[in-house]
Amino acid sequence: MLNRLQATRYIVHQVTDEPIIASLGNPKFDLFTAQDRPQNFYMWNSMGMASSMGLGLAMTRPQQKVIILDGDGALLMNLNSLTTAAARAPQNLIHVIWDNRQFELTGGQPTHTAFCTDLAKLAQGAGFEKVETVETQEVFERTFSRALREPGPWIIVAIIDTERAAGRPPKSPTYIKHRFMESLGVKPV
Amino acid sequence: MPSTLWTHCIIEQLKNYHIRFLSYVPDSIIEQILKLARQDSFFDILPLAREEEGVGVVTGQYVGGERGALLLPTSGVGNAINALASLAIPYQIPMPMFIGCRGELGEFNPSQVPMGQALRPILDALRIPHFELTHPEEVNVIVDGALKLAFALESPVAVLMSTQLAGWKDEK
Repeated sequence: MLNRLQATRYIVHQVTDEPIIASLGNPKFDLFTAQDRPQNFYMWNSMGMASSMGLGLAMTRPQQKVIILDGDGALLMNLNSLTTAAARAPQNLIHVIWDNRQFELTGGQPTHTAFCTDLAKLAQGAGFEKVETVETQEVFERTFSRALREPGPWIIVAIIDTERAAGRPPKSPTYIKHRFMESLGVKPV
Repeated sequence: MPSTLWTHCIIEQLKNYHIRFLSYVPDSIIEQILKLARQDSFFDILPLAREEEGVGVVTGQYVGGERGALLLPTSGVGNAINALASLAIPYQIPMPMFIGCRGELGEFNPSQVPMGQALRPILDALRIPHFELTHPEEVNVIVDGALKLAFALESPVAVLMSTQLAGWKDEK
């Protein structure tokens, strides 16, 4: 089983200026702890929207990889986004799903992946071809590095432990947005 | 008879504001715009499975340096509320929304009416400015003004495409 913080640390060490969209809750907490980069977009609510926002961003920046850090609960709330992203199939998209099989922040209630739901199979059914399920740090590192080098879109379902994330990024939505846009060389209107 | 001219006005205004990306869930009103957009290589069109996705997609396009608009039916506003309230509004994302009106003048389907009646109160509750298109001769100025406001205010702004303008379904 992977540890989300350890795997997130590997991601931020591998990337340079690639944007990372982090879903609400633990994915963004651990991204902040691993490294608070201006290219990090922290979602403070809008559960499920990381996958859709990452798709929109990937459509506008085909020259660089766009990384989504999602959670099992969040993706289950916006499962249809998999079908939209698979139909569009941007080669620069890397969608990492941390699957701890629970809503950890709200008390550990099981998500459907705790029973019989397999997110990798759902992604394949949506039409993604490059889909990997990883359960160890070693395999995660190999898979993520490959996803950075090779055209996607990539779906990486990472089976993780249930450790709670301690980090708390800045909360101001406009600060997060402006810092992120500036880091991508995008001027506000 | 609904005029076809209004759709040309919307297309031209989208281009004036450099809004290249159109994300949509279809209805019969939206299809009238898409029919033109598909013939124009300026536009990049993304079909969605659910309207809420479009709020995330347009947000991602905006922070990536490009402008997008969302085309959705009245019912789809209901599907998009929390994403608007928790992403587009607090992060101050300019988000033009072109909404095909249902549940109003000429509606045949009673199950469309409650959401049609709730549409404006919902937009008001979220403080999303909204403007209705009813007369073909007003379309140009209203769409121009709505798009200008969306990018000035950095907010979702809704343009409601009424059945008076765009026609209603001829089912009984």
